[in-house]
Amino acid sequence: MPRHTKFYLDKRNAKWLGVCSGIADYTGLDATIVRVAAVVLTFIGGFPWTLIAYWITAWIANDKPMEFEDMSREDRKFWQGVRAKPGNTVRDVRSRFRDIDRRLSDLEVYYTSHNRRLADEIDSLR
Amino acid sequence: MEDVFLPIAIVSILFIGLPWVIFHYITQWKRARGLSIEDENLLDDLHDLARRLDDRLSTIERIVAADNPNWRPGSSDRPSRDVTRDLGRDTDDWQGRA
Repeated sequence: MPRHTKFYLDKRNAKWLGVCSGIADYTGLDATIVRVAAVVLTFIGGFPWTLIAYWITAWIANDKPMEFEDMSREDRKFWQGVRAKPGNTVRDVRSRFRDIDRRLSDLEVYYTSHNRRLADEIDSLR
Repeated sequence: MEDVFLPIAIVSILFIGLPWVIFHYITQWKRARGLSIEDENLLDDLHDLARRLDDRLSTIERIVAADNPNWRPGSSDRPSRDVTRDLGRDTDDWQGRA
Protein backbone atom coordinates (compact mmCIF):
# COMPACT_ATOMS: atom_id res chain seq x y z
CA MET A 1 0.00 0.00 0.00
CA PRO A 2 1.70 3.25 -1.10
CA ARG A 3 1.75 5.98 1.51
CA HIS A 4 2.14 9.70 1.17
CA THR A 5 4.23 10.00 4.31
CA LYS A 6 6.89 7.50 3.29
CA PHE A 7 10.21 8.29 1.73
CA TYR A 8 10.58 7.10 -1.86
CA LEU A 9 13.36 7.27 -4.42
CA ASP A 10 12.49 9.59 -7.26
CA LYS A 11 13.91 7.75 -10.24
CA ARG A 12 12.28 9.95 -12.83
CA ASN A 13 14.20 13.06 -11.76
CA ALA A 14 17.26 11.12 -10.68
CA LYS A 15 20.84 12.12 -11.43
CA TRP A 16 22.27 8.88 -10.09
CA LEU A 17 20.05 6.62 -7.96
CA GLY A 18 17.33 9.11 -7.08
CA VAL A 19 18.11 9.65 -3.40
CA CYS A 20 18.68 13.40 -3.62
CA SER A 21 15.65 13.95 -5.85
CA GLY A 22 13.70 11.74 -3.44
CA ILE A 23 14.77 13.94 -0.51
CA ALA A 24 13.84 17.02 -2.55
CA ASP A 25 10.42 15.56 -3.33
CA TYR A 26 9.89 14.52 0.28
CA THR A 27 10.83 17.83 1.87
CA GLY A 28 9.92 20.31 -0.86
CA LEU A 29 13.47 21.66 -1.09
CA ASP A 30 14.98 22.27 -4.49
CA ALA A 31 16.73 19.17 -5.85
CA THR A 32 19.80 21.19 -6.85
CA ILE A 33 20.24 22.49 -3.28
CA VAL A 34 20.03 18.94 -1.90
CA ARG A 35 22.58 17.69 -4.42
CA VAL A 36 25.01 20.56 -3.83
CA ALA A 37 24.69 20.05 -0.06
CA ALA A 38 25.42 16.33 -0.46
CA VAL A 39 28.48 17.00 -2.60
CA VAL A 40 29.77 19.75 -0.28
CA LEU A 41 29.24 17.48 2.72
CA THR A 42 31.24 14.77 0.99
CA PHE A 43 34.13 17.13 0.24
CA ILE A 44 34.37 18.77 3.67
CA GLY A 45 35.11 15.49 5.38
CA GLY A 46 32.13 13.18 5.16
CA PHE A 47 33.86 11.30 2.38
CA PRO A 48 33.04 7.65 2.83
CA TRP A 49 30.04 8.16 5.11
CA THR A 50 27.83 10.24 2.82
CA LEU A 51 28.41 7.74 0.03
CA ILE A 52 27.60 4.82 2.36
CA ALA A 53 24.47 6.60 3.58
CA TYR A 54 23.51 7.26 -0.02
CA TRP A 55 23.90 3.62 -1.00
CA ILE A 56 22.09 2.32 2.03
CA THR A 57 19.21 4.72 1.40
CA ALA A 58 19.08 3.71 -2.26
CA TRP A 59 19.11 0.05 -1.22
CA ILE A 60 16.44 0.29 1.52
CA ALA A 61 13.99 2.80 0.09
CA ASN A 62 11.50 1.81 -2.59
CA ASP A 63 10.88 3.55 -5.86
CA LYS A 64 8.09 6.08 -6.00
CA PRO A 65 4.79 4.32 -6.86
CA MET A 66 3.32 5.05 -10.27
CA GLU A 67 0.18 6.71 -8.92
CA PHE A 68 2.26 9.38 -7.18
CA GLU A 69 4.17 10.27 -10.32
CA ASP A 70 1.46 12.34 -11.97
CA MET A 71 0.39 14.29 -8.91
CA SER A 72 -0.50 17.93 -9.39
CA ARG A 73 1.79 20.64 -8.01
CA GLU A 74 -0.80 21.58 -5.43
CA ASP A 75 -1.14 18.01 -4.17
CA ARG A 76 2.62 17.66 -4.00
CA LYS A 77 2.91 20.79 -1.88
CA PHE A 78 0.03 19.63 0.31
CA TRP A 79 1.71 16.31 1.10
CA GLN A 80 5.06 17.98 1.68
CA GLY A 81 3.26 20.11 4.25
CA VAL A 82 1.69 17.02 5.80
CA ARG A 83 5.09 15.37 6.13
CA ALA A 84 6.66 18.45 7.69
CA LYS A 85 3.82 19.52 10.01
CA PRO A 86 0.75 17.25 10.05
CA GLY A 87 -1.03 19.39 12.64
CA ASN A 88 -0.81 22.52 10.55
CA THR A 89 -2.25 20.86 7.46
CA VAL A 90 -5.15 19.42 9.45
CA ARG A 91 -5.93 22.94 10.69
CA ASP A 92 -5.54 24.19 7.14
CA VAL A 93 -8.09 21.70 5.80
CA ARG A 94 -10.47 22.64 8.61
CA SER A 95 -10.15 26.32 7.77
CA ARG A 96 -10.93 25.52 4.15
CA PHE A 97 -14.12 23.77 5.25
CA ARG A 98 -15.00 26.77 7.42
CA ASP A 99 -14.46 29.04 4.44
CA ILE A 100 -16.76 26.85 2.33
CA ASP A 101 -19.34 26.92 5.13
CA ARG A 102 -19.21 30.71 5.36
CA ARG A 103 -19.50 31.26 1.62
CA LEU A 104 -22.36 28.78 1.40
CA SER A 105 -24.20 30.51 4.21
CA ASP A 106 -23.69 33.86 2.43
CA LEU A 107 -25.36 32.40 -0.64
CA GLU A 108 -28.07 30.85 1.49
CA VAL A 109 -28.83 34.10 3.27
CA TYR A 110 -28.92 35.95 -0.02
CA TYR A 111 -31.26 33.49 -1.67
CA THR A 112 -33.59 32.84 1.23
CA SER A 113 -34.06 36.51 2.10
CA HIS A 114 -34.34 37.44 -1.56
CA ASN A 115 -36.98 34.83 -2.37
CA ARG A 116 -38.93 35.26 0.84
CA ARG A 117 -39.24 38.99 0.28
CA LEU A 118 -40.05 38.41 -3.34
CA ALA A 119 -42.84 36.04 -2.34
CA ASP A 120 -44.15 38.59 0.17
CA GLU A 121 -44.23 41.26 -2.49
CA ILE A 122 -46.09 39.01 -4.90
CA ASP A 123 -48.58 38.14 -2.17
CA SER A 124 -49.18 41.80 -1.41
CA LEU A 125 -49.88 42.51 -5.08
CA ARG A 126 -52.68 39.94 -5.23
CA MET B 1 45.04 -2.34 32.16
CA GLU B 2 44.41 1.18 30.88
CA ASP B 3 45.33 0.06 27.39
CA VAL B 4 42.62 -2.61 27.44
CA PHE B 5 39.75 -0.61 28.93
CA LEU B 6 39.98 2.53 26.86
CA PRO B 7 39.43 0.83 23.46
CA ILE B 8 36.62 -1.29 24.91
CA ALA B 9 34.92 1.79 26.32
CA ILE B 10 35.28 3.70 23.06
CA VAL B 11 34.07 0.78 20.95
CA SER B 12 31.08 0.14 23.21
CA ILE B 13 30.13 3.82 23.15
CA LEU B 14 30.52 3.95 19.40
CA PHE B 15 28.69 0.73 18.53
CA ILE B 16 26.13 0.41 21.32
CA GLY B 17 25.61 3.84 22.87
CA LEU B 18 25.40 5.85 19.68
CA PRO B 19 22.97 3.59 17.76
CA TRP B 20 20.89 3.32 20.92
CA VAL B 21 20.56 7.09 21.21
CA ILE B 22 19.81 7.42 17.50
CA PHE B 23 17.13 4.72 17.49
CA HIS B 24 15.67 6.09 20.70
CA TYR B 25 15.17 9.47 19.01
CA ILE B 26 13.89 7.86 15.82
CA THR B 27 11.15 6.03 17.73
CA GLN B 28 10.34 9.18 19.71
CA TRP B 29 10.11 11.15 16.48
CA LYS B 30 7.87 8.53 14.85
CA ARG B 31 5.53 8.47 17.82
CA ALA B 32 5.33 12.26 17.88
CA ARG B 33 4.51 12.45 14.18
CA GLY B 34 1.93 9.73 14.59
CA LEU B 35 -0.07 9.96 11.39
CA SER B 36 -1.56 6.49 11.01
CA ILE B 37 -2.61 5.08 7.67
CA GLU B 38 -6.28 5.75 8.48
CA ASP B 39 -5.49 9.35 9.36
CA GLU B 40 -3.60 9.70 6.14
CA ASN B 41 -6.44 8.33 4.02
CA LEU B 42 -8.92 10.51 5.88
CA LEU B 43 -6.78 13.58 5.29
CA ASP B 44 -6.49 12.65 1.62
CA ASP B 45 -10.28 12.35 1.32
CA LEU B 46 -10.94 15.59 3.17
CA HIS B 47 -8.38 17.49 1.13
CA ASP B 48 -9.95 16.18 -2.06
CA LEU B 49 -13.47 16.94 -0.85
CA ALA B 50 -12.52 20.46 0.21
CA ARG B 51 -11.05 21.15 -3.18
CA ARG B 52 -14.09 19.78 -5.03
CA LEU B 53 -16.52 21.74 -2.85
CA ASP B 54 -14.38 24.84 -3.29
CA ASP B 55 -14.51 24.48 -7.07
CA ARG B 56 -18.25 23.89 -7.15
CA LEU B 57 -18.92 26.76 -4.82
CA SER B 58 -16.80 29.05 -6.97
CA THR B 59 -18.84 28.00 -9.99
CA ILE B 60 -22.09 28.70 -8.16
CA GLU B 61 -20.82 32.05 -6.95
CA ARG B 62 -19.89 32.95 -10.51
CA ILE B 63 -23.35 32.00 -11.75
CA VAL B 64 -25.03 33.98 -8.96
CA ALA B 65 -22.78 36.97 -9.62
CA ALA B 66 -23.71 36.82 -13.31
CA ASP B 67 -27.42 36.70 -12.49
CA ASN B 68 -27.27 39.35 -9.77
CA PRO B 69 -24.64 41.96 -10.60
CA ASN B 70 -24.96 43.69 -7.22
CA TRP B 71 -24.19 40.55 -5.27
CA ARG B 72 -20.59 40.38 -4.14
CA PRO B 73 -19.23 37.05 -2.91
CA GLY B 74 -17.15 37.11 0.25
CA SER B 75 -18.96 39.71 2.38
CA SER B 76 -21.53 38.38 4.78
CA ASP B 77 -23.33 41.65 5.64
CA ARG B 78 -23.45 43.33 2.25
CA PRO B 79 -25.79 40.99 0.37
CA SER B 80 -28.77 41.61 2.64
CA ARG B 81 -28.40 45.40 2.30
CA ASP B 82 -28.00 45.08 -1.45
CA VAL B 83 -31.02 42.82 -1.59
CA THR B 84 -33.25 45.34 0.15
CA ARG B 85 -32.13 48.09 -2.18
CA ASP B 86 -32.56 45.80 -5.15
CA LEU B 87 -35.99 44.67 -4.01
CA GLY B 88 -37.06 48.25 -3.41
CA ARG B 89 -36.25 49.07 -6.98
CA ASP B 90 -37.94 45.90 -8.18
CA THR B 91 -41.16 46.59 -6.30
CA ASP B 92 -41.24 50.17 -7.59
CA ASP B 93 -40.96 48.74 -11.04
CA TRP B 94 -43.82 46.34 -10.47
CA GLN B 95 -46.01 48.96 -8.87
CA GLY B 96 -45.34 51.25 -11.80
CA ARG B 97 -46.36 48.51 -14.18
CA ALA B 98 -49.38 47.52 -12.09
